[in-house]
Amino acid sequence: MNKIDKPLRNKFYISTKLKFYLYYMKILIIEDELELAKSIATYLSEQQYLCEFAPTLQDAQDKIQLYQYDCILLDIGLPDGNGLKLLEELKNQRKQDGVIIISAKNALDDKIHGLQLGADDYLTKPFHLSELTARIYSLIRRKQFNSSNIVVQNEIQIDLLAKNVIVNDLPVVLTKKEFDLLMFFIGNKNKVISKSTLAEHLSGDIADMLDNHDFVYAHVKNLKKKLQDAGSQSYIKTVYGTGYKWEN
Amino acid sequence: MKPLLSKITTPFLLYVLIVLGVSVPVYYFVIDGIWKSELDEHNEIIVKKTTYELNRLQLSEERLQASIALWNSIQPETNIQKVKPGDLLKDSVYTIEKPQRFVEPKTIDRFRCLSSVIQINGAPYRFTVQTNIEESVETIAAIAATTLFFFAILVVGLLILSRKISIRLWKPFRDTVEKLKAFNLNSQQQINFQQTDTIEFQELNQSLSKLLEKNVAVYRSQKEFTENASHELQTPLAILKNKLDILLQDPDLSDEQYQLIEDMHKALSRSTRINRNLLLLAKIDNSQFDHSERISMDTLVSQSIEVMQEHLEQKHLLLLQEIQPAVLLTGNSSLTEILINNLLLNAIRYSNTGDTIAVHLNQTSLAVHNAGSTALDKALLFKRFSKLSKNSQGSGLGLAIIIEIARYQGWTVDYHFENNQHIFSIHF
Repeated sequence: MNKIDKPLRNKFYISTKLKFYLYYMKILIIEDELELAKSIATYLSEQQYLCEFAPTLQDAQDKIQLYQYDCILLDIGLPDGNGLKLLEELKNQRKQDGVIIISAKNALDDKIHGLQLGADDYLTKPFHLSELTARIYSLIRRKQFNSSNIVVQNEIQIDLLAKNVIVNDLPVVLTKKEFDLLMFFIGNKNKVISKSTLAEHLSGDIADMLDNHDFVYAHVKNLKKKLQDAGSQSYIKTVYGTGYKWEN
Repeated sequence: MKPLLSKITTPFLLYVLIVLGVSVPVYYFVIDGIWKSELDEHNEIIVKKTTYELNRLQLSEERLQASIALWNSIQPETNIQKVKPGDLLKDSVYTIEKPQRFVEPKTIDRFRCLSSVIQINGAPYRFTVQTNIEESVETIAAIAATTLFFFAILVVGLLILSRKISIRLWKPFRDTVEKLKAFNLNSQQQINFQQTDTIEFQELNQSLSKLLEKNVAVYRSQKEFTENASHELQTPLAILKNKLDILLQDPDLSDEQYQLIEDMHKALSRSTRINRNLLLLAKIDNSQFDHSERISMDTLVSQSIEVMQEHLEQKHLLLLQEIQPAVLLTGNSSLTEILINNLLLNAIRYSNTGDTIAVHLNQTSLAVHNAGSTALDKALLFKRFSKLSKNSQGSGLGLAIIIEIARYQGWTVDYHFENNQHIFSIHF
């Protein structure tokens, strides 16, 4: 256990352990950059996540041998070695922990290599925390509910595998982008999400090159309308003029 | 500009011409001198022999006179006469020219003469001998002709020889030049110069090798620096971005503060984009991509257009596409995707609402047309960070990336302005 680990661990771990231990998802953040790890933990702790830290490969190796995690966030460039080693170890130990690689490297080779070694997702730094949260949410859902993976949000039922949405037992037809957007909101409940974040989520790398992010507005508007037309409450709120929030 | 060979040969031939030219009169005087002294000797022998023979006969005065008269009449080139009164009794040598009397056409002959006083039977006589000698004009002409002949042989020989020798001699040099021409700093490959036994070339090759080695090393470290710098920047950018994400969740945030955060987000996205693009350029420069994949250009273009569809619709742009099927190329699919996206986004970004964009793909080229009012400055267009439009959010690297990707895959990029349309084309 290292120096930075303890206070944070206490803060997020003990306070929640008593109340919702079983309900909480355990996340291991393997990241040598303290500030990044702290930010991720802060953001995640407001939802049903419990974060632990491992700033070195050695720490990470110790932890994965002792505990089981719902999701591991893995930085490849660690001070004492390549994070990809850990993927091999997980594989050898036949562990089922979901792994999201978070790397400063955008190199395609790393990406493909990582996914081949058993990583479930790959996120390039810098990323939005809401993007990370949405990915963690989907990954955990995928890992835990293999056969019938249905998210229930009051009157809304979302089938993650079939990508269907049912509101009050009636199917709602969403485009791929609208479905994406819905999942992004569900994964970031009660979080303020800016328009530019959504633009980056929806158009990936090319959002970088777009001057105008108004297309986000059109997609959100359509999604809101379709859900409300089917009789759902209006969960998606506009905040501060151009931001959005799924209020529940 | 003249080749080295002709620069050396011309003055050399001029020198030969001057030397040979000067040699003509010199030869003439030398040969003429030899002629004259030989003939003088010859004349003297004749005089001595004739005198001796006439004295040996011991003729009477009468018979002597008759013999001399006979001699004079059949030997026209010699003349024996009694010494005239007042003669200084001195020998003299001279040259005369007179017309031929016996052959047609009449030509002028030159004679070498000896006028000597001899003693026959104790009485002094003047003996004159004239021997034909080559005319000066003829001598000069003969010498000049011979000289010219040798000059011609010299020129031809020199040209052939120098050409042959120079081809052999300069071979290592030409080899070095060819290798330098083909050298590409980007390929990071050292040149192996041909071994040569010419000291000068060996020195040249050694110096060049050293210079190139140093250049390649500097270039490589510069490249690595760019890559590492961009890489290192990603982490602080990530921290900033995440902290802003957290700040955004503050329940006490005012609208103004939210707007400030969004503005910071935007600036941050821009720095991230510039950084990413720099990293991409550095990676292409460092040849970190496999460019031997088989790629289906038509599929990639169609995919890109599909991705862009909503952005086209948003600006109410009309897209005309003319895509030939089965355009199969060799390259890197991810890079090619970036190239196509950049081309299309460029067209979208610089189009006004309601404009038309056209995409043409065939086996040899991909062209994207979009409307415009004036031609862009071609010199500035492809330069990194040179922005032609002031109000754009572009990173200034979009076209540089297009060029680098095209170059990396052995394609060329062209821009021209025609019928109020900007046309960017890639030639495979």
